[in-house]
Amino acid sequence: MLNVDFNKLAELINRNVPGANAVVNEAADTKCDSSITVDAAKIYSVVEFLKTNKEMPFNSLQVISGVDYVEWMEVCYMLAHFDLETPREFILKVKVTDRVAPAVDSIVKLYAAANFQERECYDMFGIKFNNHPDHRRILCPDDWEGFPLRKDYIAQKVYNGMEVYPDGKMNFEDREFVVRQDMIKKAQTQAAN
Amino acid sequence: MSTIHQTGSVKDYFCDLISGITTTAKGMWITFKYVWAVKPVSIEYPEVREVLPERARMRLFNDVQNCISCTQCAMACPVDCIYIASEKRPEGEEIKKTSNGQPIRLKLTQFTIDTALCCYCGLCTTVCPTECLTHSHDYEFSQYTIDSMKYDYLAPDVIAWRDRIVKA
Amino acid sequence: MQSKWDIGEPEKPTINTETEQLKSDLLTLNMGPQHPATHGVLRLEIWTDSEIVAHAIPHLGYLHRCMEKHAENLDYRGIIPFVDRLDYLAAMNMEWTYVAAVEKMLGTEVPRRAELLRILVAELQRIASHLMAFGTYALDLGAFTPFLYAFDEREKILRLFEEVSGARLLYNYVWVGGVWNDWTDEQLVRVAQFCDVMEEEAKKYNELVSKNKIFVERTANVGVFTVEDCLSYGATGPVLRGSGMKWDLRKNKPYSLYSEFDFDVPVGEGEEGRPGDCWNRYMVRMKEVIQSIKIVRQVLEKLEPGPIMGKVPKIIKLPKGEVYVRHECPRGELGIHLVSEGEKQPFRLKVKSPCFTHVSMLPHVAPGQMIADLVATVGSIDIVLGEVDR
Repeated sequence: MLNVDFNKLAELINRNVPGANAVVNEAADTKCDSSITVDAAKIYSVVEFLKTNKEMPFNSLQVISGVDYVEWMEVCYMLAHFDLETPREFILKVKVTDRVAPAVDSIVKLYAAANFQERECYDMFGIKFNNHPDHRRILCPDDWEGFPLRKDYIAQKVYNGMEVYPDGKMNFEDREFVVRQDMIKKAQTQAAN
Repeated sequence: MSTIHQTGSVKDYFCDLISGITTTAKGMWITFKYVWAVKPVSIEYPEVREVLPERARMRLFNDVQNCISCTQCAMACPVDCIYIASEKRPEGEEIKKTSNGQPIRLKLTQFTIDTALCCYCGLCTTVCPTECLTHSHDYEFSQYTIDSMKYDYLAPDVIAWRDRIVKA
Repeated sequence: MQSKWDIGEPEKPTINTETEQLKSDLLTLNMGPQHPATHGVLRLEIWTDSEIVAHAIPHLGYLHRCMEKHAENLDYRGIIPFVDRLDYLAAMNMEWTYVAAVEKMLGTEVPRRAELLRILVAELQRIASHLMAFGTYALDLGAFTPFLYAFDEREKILRLFEEVSGARLLYNYVWVGGVWNDWTDEQLVRVAQFCDVMEEEAKKYNELVSKNKIFVERTANVGVFTVEDCLSYGATGPVLRGSGMKWDLRKNKPYSLYSEFDFDVPVGEGEEGRPGDCWNRYMVRMKEVIQSIKIVRQVLEKLEPGPIMGKVPKIIKLPKGEVYVRHECPRGELGIHLVSEGEKQPFRLKVKSPCFTHVSMLPHVAPGQMIADLVATVGSIDIVLGEVDR
């Protein structure tokens, strides 16, 4: 990541936002990116601090990306500073352990970009964003069940009277398909032995 | 937001008028030049056909006589549209060789490609060890049913196709 | 006697329910999903007061193909054809961004010739994409001829790409570790010829469209985004530059070999209208075409024979970790957030699409505009719905 001293930034956050518990996730591999995890309850004040501080401001939110690690879920905020002299960017993370009703505070008031991004995150992972002005699904239909990008997602059987993945659908009925799957498995086991 | 409510002087009005006429006339002149200065670029398609470049990726063709049923193409395919089945050769049957000298140990019993699913990415042709799976240059193969987009390369009617594509 | 014209008192319509009464409320209009001015399948729910737009609500998802979910079940090479289909008008840039993310985690060294060829195809693709934007934008505003001129030039680029990669739109050309095929000298000569022709053509387009009074009246001072708006909404690319901020990743955070190249970053200067309006956004694209030609010429000078493929393991397995890579694509900054758990497949692939961000700006700018101006605004941010919905 660019122009960001993670330890210094984590210390800054901890000093200015009490209870944020900023922890630096050093990348195990040098080729990968490091990130900072903060407490989910404090995300609004942390982002507010990051946006308004003088020392290391971030004036733009690039994207909100959810990651489902099965035991917990993460919401990654890619913050960037668009500045001609010292451009910066880094990943801010929030851990959510509740899978039934996960909720994080919305940051739409700080960055207008968060509006659609949070809606997408809700659509794909079912993470609710408190105080969001327009909390709806965005890519899937409004009455779709389940959250597709979760690892345990199973597509619903019937949607609005239409069968999802019907048995009679041409390319699934193929016997060849099954034969092929077996062949691949066989070839893989042969290659392994 | 919009400029329609602006009120200007009479001079502005005529300046706008003149610039509107001159710029439009300039554009008209550019398009008018195309009448004689530029040759048409379109091709009268069914009569005149463009010669495709050598690497053009069109309908897939598998030369089954060279296929060693290694299933590498099926594994590389990102949309899973290649179906391969093979069995062990019966004892005593002669083991043929491919054109580049690899022995064909397994007997290919099925090689089907669902062309309706194929995304023409070319990944299957790059992994093929005997270069029997290639992209041909046929691009007109619309069908009435989606079932007939499935090509069985072991079917006898492929042989005529093969003669055209595989140059000895 | 009653004549046939005299039909007596007209029958009064009976109004039974409240809903049937004539209302002076806002009228709801659906623009799209099959509207040609929405560049795909964007549906804009517009609430209008006579012809003035009161609200515009984008409804997305008509082209949602679950690309991110698909990617979790594919190997790293098999994702490249899927990434192509995000922004199908700039597939080379999409591939390169994704491949750059994989290469960063893999630590692959890409040969110099391959990097230069990537810059070559990316810039040619940028020209092709901007030509498409130019043509369809003129079409949106009622001029049909520029569309044909732009397609004529774009066709030359597509033909070159077809010869070198085998496909016209969805190339699968940029591979992990390098590029698929090498360019021949003859093709490079044709690229140089194309650059000369394109420079003349760009001048012609400017004369034909950019300075045309009708075009200027339709676009200048329409749909204004300030720099603050753009930063708050996270807008990038020509939208941000059209507002007057001189931000280009190729210049400000040079990736690949861009630091070796000499080019300018065009911004909206407000020759007509003011920075941030449709005309300036459009003009930034036209100026970028000239800059891309400049880069392509420098690439042709620097190209030397050499390998085009680096050393890549046969089965790609990435280390455990994550990267966020962003590249400057024709429509803005494309970001790839790639999370790996050490498997053959990615654990999570998130695409930050610039068009998705730009669509979210429409509700901000639409209120107060005429409907025809909204068409001009939607055209000027140049969205591709394949990338919005993924």
